[in-house]
Formats: sequence, structure tokens, C-alpha cells
Amino acid sequence: MVGKIIVLLLRLAVAAVFLYAGVMKIWDFRHGQSATPDFTLAIQHFEILRNPDLPVLLAVYLPWLEVTAAITLFVKRLALGAATAVTVMSVVFLGAIGSAWARGLDISCGCFGKDEVSIPYSSMMLRDGILLAAAVVLLVWEARRNRALIPNSKAESLS
Amino acid sequence: MIRALRQLAIVLGIALLPALISGAVQLKWNAEVPSKKDEVTIAMVHNNWSDHVLWVDARTRAKYDHAHIPEAVLLNEDEWNSLVAKFLDAWDPDVPVVVYCDGGSCDASHAIADRMRSELKIEKVYVLKGGWGAWSGK
Repeated sequence: MVGKIIVLLLRLAVAAVFLYAGVMKIWDFRHGQSATPDFTLAIQHFEILRNPDLPVLLAVYLPWLEVTAAITLFVKRLALGAATAVTVMSVVFLGAIGSAWARGLDISCGCFGKDEVSIPYSSMMLRDGILLAAAVVLLVWEARRNRALIPNSKAESLS
Repeated sequence: MIRALRQLAIVLGIALLPALISGAVQLKWNAEVPSKKDEVTIAMVHNNWSDHVLWVDARTRAKYDHAHIPEAVLLNEDEWNSLVAKFLDAWDPDVPVVVYCDGGSCDASHAIADRMRSELKIEKVYVLKGGWGAWSGK
């Protein structure tokens, strides 16, 4: 019971972070316009993607993936896939920020749109590390839940 | 594992639909999406710096004399040596520099921006996507 409550709280927290991050990258509410150009620039500043088209494609797709993953975390049939998505995204975010930190780049991560408060790399790593830990807990929980469902479905199909 | 991957594929697919629609809509306003690292759009100049930038016109003197962005400084490849001092007089380290050329596929703005970075060691240098065409057509 306690475990379920903790997982529910983690699910709510992770979903809220990803939903907010995705929406803020899609739309610039302060200026009433698309936030894609600014997010494209933020991705370019990481200097990881060499192909000039990739940052644009990623800036268009990634925010919607964040929003979709946040919502489907609450859809039982897709929660395992959503937990996998948020875990992979968290790893990628950590890797990108760590790489920028290691190269001494003076950039904002663009994680929560243009208006995010600028914080040091150590704080960004800590924040994304916590997010990754929560995502991994959700992933393990969903994997176990799905594993537990397999015998039931097999039994149902046999009866 | 297979179940996780199958669900992940579904999640990725669901996200693709709004992303495609969003991408298609934004392609219509391609000028709003910078495609190179140092490019900015007119909207970004307005929103990020409240239009408080030093405009640099990298076109020919004839085109500059005909029309240019208000208060823009002329600095092109042909007259670099004679114009660079005037540019440095106008330059303020705290104000971003935005270089423009004709627009479309012109490279003059990128060339001037590169020289500013390498020879003048100026870091806050950007290129206006769409160049003069984006400005005059706004």
C-alpha cells in the first residue's frame, strides 16, 4: 500500500515535470508564439548534433514526446512504454548536460523553455539525476506489474 | 522486454502525430526557425533583446546607401579594412551584434560574423536569418 502511494506520487511528479517541460518547449506563453525556434537554438548550443537539420527536427518532436510520455504514464496499457521513454530521455538529458559541462560550454539547457531560471551545471545534473532515479523506479515498478500480468493473461487464454 | 519496446513504440508513434502537424505548420513559417547555430530571427531579436542590438550590414555599399536597417553600420568583406574602425566605434561589448546580408543563400553575413569572432574576438555575434529580405518584408 505504501509502495503504491510512493509510486503514485513519483508518477505524478515525473509526469508533471515532463508535461511542463514539454509544453514550455512547444509554446512561448510570454510572447504568445511557438517556442520551437528558441528550443532549436538551445539544442544547437550543445554542439552535439552536427547535421543542421537534426536540431530542428528534435526541437519539433521532443516536446511532444515529453507530453505524450507524461500523459501515457497514467494509461495502464502504455505505462511501461512511457516509463521507458522518460527513463531514456532522462539519461539523454543527463548525458547532454554532462557533456556540455565537461566541454565548458556556457549555455542554458533549454529544459523548460526560454524563460527558465539559469542554474549551475551541478544543480542541473542533480535535478536530472533525481528525475532519472524517479523514472527508473517507475520503470522497475511497471516492469514488475507487467510481468505479474503475464501468468494471468496466459491463464485466461487457457480457460 | 518485448512488451516494453512495443509500448515504447506506441508512445513514440502517438507523439509523432502532433509533432508532424506542428512541424508542418511551422514549416510555413520557416523563417521563424533558425537552421544554423548562430542564426537569429527578427522575432528573436525583438523578444530576447528588445531590439537593442547593433545591426551590421554586410552587403555592398550601394545596397546599404539605397536602404538599410535603421542605425545599421556598414561592414562588408570588400571594405573591411577601411570600415572596421567605424564599426568598433559603434560596438558596445554588452550589446549583441546581428549581421545581415541580402537574405536567401547569401554568405556575406556569416563571413563577416566569422571574421568578427576570429579577428576582433567578439563573441556575441549573430546572423539574421533571411537577411535584408526578412527585415524589409516584415
